[in-house]
Amino acid sequence: DFQKVMKSEDIALKYKKGEELFNEGKYKKANRLFEQIVPKYRGKPQAEKLMYMHSMCFYKLEQYYLSGYRFEQFVKSYPNSEKAEEAAFLSAKSYYEESPIYSKDKEETVKAIEKVQLFINAYPNSEYAEQANVLVKELDFKLEKKAFEIAKQYNRIYDYKASIKSFNNFLLDFPGSSLKEDALYYRFNSEYNLAVLSVPELKDARIALALADYKTLLKAFPNTKYLEEANELKEALEKERTNNEIKS
Amino acid sequence: QNGDKYTINDIVVTGNTSFNASTIITYSRLKKGQEVYIGGEKIGEAVTKLWKSNLFSSIDIYFTNITEDNKVDVEINLSDLPELNEVRIEGVKKGKKEEIIDENNLKPKVKVTENLVNTTKNYLTNKYKKKGFLNTKVSVLTSEVQNDSVEKQRVNMFVNIDKGNKVKIKSISFNGNEKLKDKKLRKAMKNTKQKSLSPLRLLKRSKYVEEDYKEDLVSLIDKYKENGYRDARVIKDSIIYIDDKTISLVIDVEEGEKYTFGKIDFVGNTVYTDEFLSQILRIEEGDTYNGVELKKRIANDEKPDGLDITNVYQNTGYMFSTINPVEVSADGNVIDLEIRITEGKPAYFNSVSVKGNDITNDHVIYREIRTRPGELYSRANIIRTIRELGQLGFFNAQAIVPDIKNPNPVDGTLDIEYTVEEQGSSQIELQGGYGGGGFIGTLGLSFNNFSLKNIFNGEAYKPVPRGDGQSLALRLQASQFFQTYSFSFSEPWLGGKKPFQLSTSISHSRQFLFDPQTRRADRSRRFNITGITFGLSTRLKEPDDYFLLSQALSFQHYDLQNYNTGLFTFGDGSSNNLSYTIGLTRNNTYNDPIYPTGGSNFAVSAKLSLPYSLFNGVDYGALREERENPNTTQERIAEIDQERFKWLEFYKVKFKADWYAEVAKKLVLRPSIEFGFLGAYNNDRGVIPFERFFLGGDGLGNFALDGREVIQLRGYPNQSLSSQDGGSIYNKFSLELRYPITLGQGAKIYALSFVEGGSSVNSFRDFNPFNLQRSAGLGVRIFMPAFGLLGIDFGHGFDPLPGLSQKNGWETHFIIGQQF
Repeated sequence: DFQKVMKSEDIALKYKKGEELFNEGKYKKANRLFEQIVPKYRGKPQAEKLMYMHSMCFYKLEQYYLSGYRFEQFVKSYPNSEKAEEAAFLSAKSYYEESPIYSKDKEETVKAIEKVQLFINAYPNSEYAEQANVLVKELDFKLEKKAFEIAKQYNRIYDYKASIKSFNNFLLDFPGSSLKEDALYYRFNSEYNLAVLSVPELKDARIALALADYKTLLKAFPNTKYLEEANELKEALEKERTNNEIKS
Repeated sequence: QNGDKYTINDIVVTGNTSFNASTIITYSRLKKGQEVYIGGEKIGEAVTKLWKSNLFSSIDIYFTNITEDNKVDVEINLSDLPELNEVRIEGVKKGKKEEIIDENNLKPKVKVTENLVNTTKNYLTNKYKKKGFLNTKVSVLTSEVQNDSVEKQRVNMFVNIDKGNKVKIKSISFNGNEKLKDKKLRKAMKNTKQKSLSPLRLLKRSKYVEEDYKEDLVSLIDKYKENGYRDARVIKDSIIYIDDKTISLVIDVEEGEKYTFGKIDFVGNTVYTDEFLSQILRIEEGDTYNGVELKKRIANDEKPDGLDITNVYQNTGYMFSTINPVEVSADGNVIDLEIRITEGKPAYFNSVSVKGNDITNDHVIYREIRTRPGELYSRANIIRTIRELGQLGFFNAQAIVPDIKNPNPVDGTLDIEYTVEEQGSSQIELQGGYGGGGFIGTLGLSFNNFSLKNIFNGEAYKPVPRGDGQSLALRLQASQFFQTYSFSFSEPWLGGKKPFQLSTSISHSRQFLFDPQTRRADRSRRFNITGITFGLSTRLKEPDDYFLLSQALSFQHYDLQNYNTGLFTFGDGSSNNLSYTIGLTRNNTYNDPIYPTGGSNFAVSAKLSLPYSLFNGVDYGALREERENPNTTQERIAEIDQERFKWLEFYKVKFKADWYAEVAKKLVLRPSIEFGFLGAYNNDRGVIPFERFFLGGDGLGNFALDGREVIQLRGYPNQSLSSQDGGSIYNKFSLELRYPITLGQGAKIYALSFVEGGSSVNSFRDFNPFNLQRSAGLGVRIFMPAFGLLGIDFGHGFDPLPGLSQKNGWETHFIIGQQF
């Protein structure tokens, strides 16, 4: 039956069958019909609903790259449609879905943030606004996590200088980050290691820097989960400082 | 406005057009009721708009039926451009015709404009002139298709190409040159050559191409400039047509005076001393003035990692430095220079980022980057980063681009962003072929950039989990005589802290004996080998970071069933090989891994088993005596050998070195030496029948997993120079001269010639490193990314095979894969 409709020349029949399949949740088949008739309905009154269903098929089929684009086109074509708000949100959400794990290229993530933010600006009182805010937060966190993990990796591969510089940049770029506590600790940890490994001439200055980082950590997070480790490192630094003074 | 104002009453479209009238009216933007002037803007715009559509050969707009109250009808009279029906091309070969049609888009239904006719004509004339057909004449004629059933106007096109004869340059002569000889000047002209009888210059044709000739005139003057004649110029150049096949070129030059360098002062340098910079510049007062060389010593654009003054600054953080040579006086013919240096603040990297890694995870990339946040800027480190990211094999090496952002000379900081482009690094190999006396089928899967931690994560299968830089390979190979299964995995940064590579592999193989009666494999007589290997390797920092230290622990179990060959005296039994290998390699060959032009490659390794005979309490001396006693039965000998080889006891030392040196432009000489020795801790126990060396032939390792080493020595049949069960000592010297034919991206091809010699014996008593089996020959190698390295060598063996008295003579070798 479906094959017959596929081969049929009757676009009204295809529309009807497509809508039926769409309502039954058979998006893959529905979409194959829609693909055939979308160009033919351009400019006609049924086009609005058709375009909406077509976009929704892509969304349901998790082809987010296409659904993001199609929904966006829908909103552009029918800004006054009753589905416009929903479509705008689903477009933004599609871009959100396209964003990969934090450890890969961030371009898609940056784009998704932009798109979701545009939705929030366009429909500040939308029923989806709350959801959209969650999405933005999640996406923002990806960027934070990315920068944080890169800085932390420098610490792990013993490049403490690069780690310190990266954490400094991280703290500047994401001042309200939920990873701030971790960043402050790992910056201190890197600074500690750099100080300990320094030549005697540079040691004092570096110990001072490390101790300053310790203070910053404790000031911001007096009950930090890293309290024990941090105190250990601090004591080691103080011991190191005394030793260095004796030597020189 | 000029002219009277009219109101459009109606618009009609007339003429020979197949387009819908309303489409044309809409397109012209004229509307009923619109006010227009004769010769006014609206009419002009309409004509332009229609004309720009490139669909009409004529467009006229008329005002008709002008009424008294200034109402008009507008008539748009059009004729469509004819469409192309058929093209006929004469004067070139059939294959070329297709090409010409494609390149000029002479396809049916294309609108034939005057422009199309002209560009086609010019294109073809230039195309053949560029190939040396100086007298090419091209005509393009169109004729209307008569008696056409189609309503549209259509034309046929006739292209006639008269290439004429290929014009050769009989001679190039010079007037006015006293200082530089004709020969030298001709040599400077790289692409325009006179006809020559010399066989060395077969590839360079003596054709005349105007563009190349003009370029060569510039090179000619550059040659003068390199020799101090900075005023040299071409006064006149003429072409003399001798006949329709040959021309002569006569070039008149004015050489001018020869200039020399005078005093060279460095100004503005605080980081480096004058003496140091002079050493880099390597130009002395009194040297012949050479502007080209001077520029190169200051900044060599051809060698971005070369030693020049710009790089001295760029590699030590002075990103904002500028270096300008300024002529301060030209007294007589002596030019005094001031090298003016603005050093600027040293620059430090602020943010370092990577873009485009859709597959590979950050941690795999960032650990390889040599420019890290907070570090001093260094151009050399950027170049090395690009090279090393390329070597990972995950990215298109040609498309790695460093992008310097936000350079801030005041703070002395900059950001850098590397753009990478992921490339498929997985390979599937499925092949069948004949070899080893029957059909061999191979299935190989190799995934580079694998991600082991995502192996149970369904979402990561796209189509396999990727992005952690690990590699995983699976290989199955089978024929009627053998089956091999192998699996291997490696992680380049074990633990993620240091570049400590872990590799592991498991393999299993079965071999069957040949049954001479059925001429098939005898399945009841088999030899199984099962093995497992763990390896660790790490790059060393000392003495330099090209050193790689590797260690491996491997275990192999051999299991024989009714498998009697010369190798074993026992047909049923088993043997175990537990060994530890330690190796040190240093590889700094550079530029192209397929065609290195410099550097060297050393490898030394030792493979050891435990000295079991020290502690297992077996009296091998007694066993040996019993074995050598002629009265001992075959069964007893087999029992003794089973005891000897239950756990293989041996040590093996290998050394290999090769060097690459560019002896002339692109011509590379590669000397190499290698040596291997397999020994026993306990002479009573003897040298094992495994791990042996097989010298001779193409050097391609076959399917055998008995630890054998197959050593290439061309000019002799495969493995013919060792005794049947392999030698325990070998050495080899080789000298190869390579010349590239092309080193393009699609395929790298080079030719080579070689002389080599080697020998393989079973004990030191017979060993004489200079008693070699010698050979010489030549060959060619082709590397294509999809196929790997393929090659063919013809070698002539000058010495007889063991046991024969006549020299071996010519052998042909097919080479597949890279030899290391």
